[in-house]
Amino acid sequence: MSFFNTNWWIIPLLITSFSGILCPAMGTVLITHKRLLQVNLISHCVLPGLALAMALGLDPSIGGVISGLVGAIAAESLTNKKNQNYEAVMNTILAGSMGLGVLLIPLLGIRIDLEAVLFGDLLTANLSDLLRTLIAFSVFICLMLFGYDKLVHIGLDPEGAASSGVNVSFLNLALGFTTALVIVSSMSAVGVILVIALLSTPTLLGLQKARSLWIAMVRSSIFGLILSLIGFSLAMFLNLPPGPLISVLCVISLILLPNNR
Amino acid sequence: MSSLIAENVTYSYSSNIKPALSKVSLDLEQGTLTALVGPNGAGKSTLLSLLQGSSTPDQGEITVDGKPLRNNRSQVALMPQRGKLNWNFPITVEGLVSLGRVNHSRSTCCELEAALQRVGISHLAKRRLDTLSGGQQQRALLAKTLMNPAKIFLLDEPCSAFDPPAKEDFLLIIRQLADSGFTVFVSSHDWGTSLNAYDKVVALDKIVLASGSPREVQEKLSSINYLRWKL
Repeated sequence: MSFFNTNWWIIPLLITSFSGILCPAMGTVLITHKRLLQVNLISHCVLPGLALAMALGLDPSIGGVISGLVGAIAAESLTNKKNQNYEAVMNTILAGSMGLGVLLIPLLGIRIDLEAVLFGDLLTANLSDLLRTLIAFSVFICLMLFGYDKLVHIGLDPEGAASSGVNVSFLNLALGFTTALVIVSSMSAVGVILVIALLSTPTLLGLQKARSLWIAMVRSSIFGLILSLIGFSLAMFLNLPPGPLISVLCVISLILLPNNR
Repeated sequence: MSSLIAENVTYSYSSNIKPALSKVSLDLEQGTLTALVGPNGAGKSTLLSLLQGSSTPDQGEITVDGKPLRNNRSQVALMPQRGKLNWNFPITVEGLVSLGRVNHSRSTCCELEAALQRVGISHLAKRRLDTLSGGQQQRALLAKTLMNPAKIFLLDEPCSAFDPPAKEDFLLIIRQLADSGFTVFVSSHDWGTSLNAYDKVVALDKIVLASGSPREVQEKLSSINYLRWKL
């Protein structure tokens, strides 16, 4: 422990690096499956769970993952129904979940640094934050090891995958669970809201001319790692919060996107 | 090789609306090429999905070689309409085709090459899917379907992206497939002369209007003024 106390920057740097690799890899799967709106819903559903878990004296991340998973199930059910206005319904649930989370804080009489939850507070991250990130990383690797081919099939041809016997609902739920884990684990690095930038921007760069999902994931992760490390270093140098800085860098990096495919 | 029989199949998407299909019966014999024609909303895709086993009929029975379809689903493969695929997915043609074996035994390079050669796109194997023309994409999708170790192939509007010469080529490919003993059932909007390429035609509009050789079906539809009324 004394090593980490003296070298306080090591844990934040490790979390930044793992999130910089993990979020874009996850984002690549989600964007190619056209599920980014579901991610938004899950990320907003995390807050009520955090508040409830804190009120019950549990680890906030457990509550966050559970309520994120509830969001994933709601998103899955809405996507399956595909009624005309399901996107509007999803956005309503998204706003409502966020509102509920904010309301629960005074109602339950708990103290949550909302700014840290929403925008990250990387410099105060500790060993348990790093552990959460590593758990999310391991779950994602397992999902890819055991379900890669099936996830490719579902992303490309969901009906064909279902008709050839792939358990589409189960894999989509596993994807939702892993997404909730990734979002909660990235909270300390970039915050619940700004994690969306890290899930999307490097993916847009990584998907260019990629010949497989695997290649796109590796490229996106490299871009994500570079953006995160530059953001972290600049934050140290300029004494600014790393999360928002990484997100702004993500937006700036969009100029690297070519006009044509 | 296998034959597929549907008897009095009825299916509704909801209990309070009229059935999408009513008392549909048909017999797809082994090694035949059969066309399924009908206007938009006739229930063609619904019927194919029932014959593949993705949906279950409200009434009636579907059998493959005399056994219920649910016990024999692996004998049937469905090629979906092109609009149902995410063509921007990052994948090459050979990547797409090899997916035809997901959930089955692993494919070998020879099988992959054979499927690509069968549809005439082996030179496009390394190309990304979204760089192909609509017709090439459709051929790639057929190659993926052919990778499935099934004996009965159901193709949902496979000619929608083809110009007339490409359609002729495609009909030749599926004719060869039927001639090698597979049972092929193809849905189409085409009421024209290309129907003569098929052994048998089934005309559907929620019920089976006519079934038989292309000439018999044309005559039956003319006698009830169906085509004039529809077109």
